[in-house]
Amino acid sequence: MKRYFAVLLGVLTAIGGFVDIGDLVTNAQAGARFGWSLVWVVVLGVLGICVFAEMSGRIAAVSHRATFDLVRERLGPRMGLLNLFGSMSVTFLTFIAEIGGVALALQLLSSVSHVLVAMFVAAAVWIVLWRAKFSSIENVLGLMGLALIVFAVALWQLGPDWSELSSQLSPAEKPAAEGWAVYAFFGVALFGAAMTPYEVFFFSSGGVEERWTSKDIGVMRANVFLGFPLGGVLSVAIAGCAAVVFLPQGITVETLGQVGLPVAVALGKIGLAVVVLGFFAATFGAACETGLSVGYSLAQYSGFQWGKYVRPREAAGFHVVLLVATVLAAGVLLTGVDPIMVTEVSVVFSALALPLTYFPILVVANDPDYLGEHRNGRLANVLGVFYLVVITIASIAAIPLMVITSMGQG
Amino acid sequence: MKLRGLTAALAGVLAALLCSCSLVEEPDAAAWDQQAAQALEDAASEVATTRLALETAAQERVWSSYTTVVVADAEEAIVTVADNLARVQAPAGRTEQAADVGALMDRAVASVRAARSLAVQGRYDDPASIDELDRLATDLEDAAGAR
Repeated sequence: MKRYFAVLLGVLTAIGGFVDIGDLVTNAQAGARFGWSLVWVVVLGVLGICVFAEMSGRIAAVSHRATFDLVRERLGPRMGLLNLFGSMSVTFLTFIAEIGGVALALQLLSSVSHVLVAMFVAAAVWIVLWRAKFSSIENVLGLMGLALIVFAVALWQLGPDWSELSSQLSPAEKPAAEGWAVYAFFGVALFGAAMTPYEVFFFSSGGVEERWTSKDIGVMRANVFLGFPLGGVLSVAIAGCAAVVFLPQGITVETLGQVGLPVAVALGKIGLAVVVLGFFAATFGAACETGLSVGYSLAQYSGFQWGKYVRPREAAGFHVVLLVATVLAAGVLLTGVDPIMVTEVSVVFSALALPLTYFPILVVANDPDYLGEHRNGRLANVLGVFYLVVITIASIAAIPLMVITSMGQG
Repeated sequence: MKLRGLTAALAGVLAALLCSCSLVEEPDAAAWDQQAAQALEDAASEVATTRLALETAAQERVWSSYTTVVVADAEEAIVTVADNLARVQAPAGRTEQAADVGALMDRAVASVRAARSLAVQGRYDDPASIDELDRLATDLEDAAGAR
């Protein structure tokens, strides 16, 4: 019974914790401009994150060590440093975007400027990272994130012509007014948002925090292969709501307020309250995850004590990194930079950094010294290599597409 | 020889960067048409967002602070779009069109600003404002399509 409860809780928190500010914004933008013609990218990205999250979770469960710890040992300090630089830069950028996202969600409730709210949000995030238990952060915010299911309810309530919406699923159904370069740019951004590097670092470090063993591999796989795809369904619902409400009116999405507007159209104030709660939980949860991931990656690379499972005094360096990262993020947001713009940049740079994150995981997951009988099988390797090719293409294309299309403007 | 080539390439890149950082852009006719069409489309999107936010608020499907934030964001965005286009130097053959587009953008900015003012006062269903936003959305889309 306890095991079933663990699976259920894990799946629910995986669903609720799957969507972050990058998914919210990018899926709404893609839906508003391309309907459902980019849904295949979300499916591709979700399957990709499942493949690599399963590998990194298995590494944590069998070796009891997290990703960066092993990357440096297995591939050497130079490769480890490159991996650290690429992944941590993107994760820190995402951390800024998530704190900004929480501030934007609170702005929608209070109409107080997000610039003012951001520093209080940063302080709250730091207090949670310092004081709260790992399981509390993961479970409470993950379960609250389930509020975003309201997008699926809203899509149903909007009563779209399902056959027409389904017919948009083919890339050939891209709106004629939109160019292929812009289509490709949004494809890369969606892929980057779905496969954002911090998710695997948080997942594998979380496995170490929760002291997974090889007996937990089954539960971990259930969380990954049920929770993540169901989280992906939320992404598709967000795109669907934008496609139904915004696409016919020629509205492009530039703000978090717009992302929630279709829910208000469909469900009124109660639906809107639920979606704003979902925005808050998703961004606050992801802010905690990205903040911890910055600390995890630096501490694991440098070899000092890390984690929430030891007292702050015993992992002082780790907690100093969390504090410095939070202060820096608040400082960036106090300049008045638009968190949505930071989000847009972060998902593109996420795509750029993907090979640096996922190639080392594939190498370590194949090493019998670390994983023994649990090393990658043929299916995991075929999928891993396939995704490495896709990831490399997305990484190479990210910056040229960003420049050519002026960040997707056209 | 290699070093000289590299220096020349670097100088070229720097010169191109400096040119692109000019305070006033001077595009050719085709590039101006494209920029104007993009600005008109962006403005139409902000006008439509304002219209939708007011309509949803009038139906009491959204609370006041949410409407205020959405409409204020639309106002900020449309002002930026209009300012950015105003800073572009229209080429010789496009002076008249630039004046027309400028006037339309000014009208759009004024209408969204007026709508924001009404939204702050809680007046979401002012018929004159709604009609003007509807007309503007059509005019902006037509003007964008004509570029």
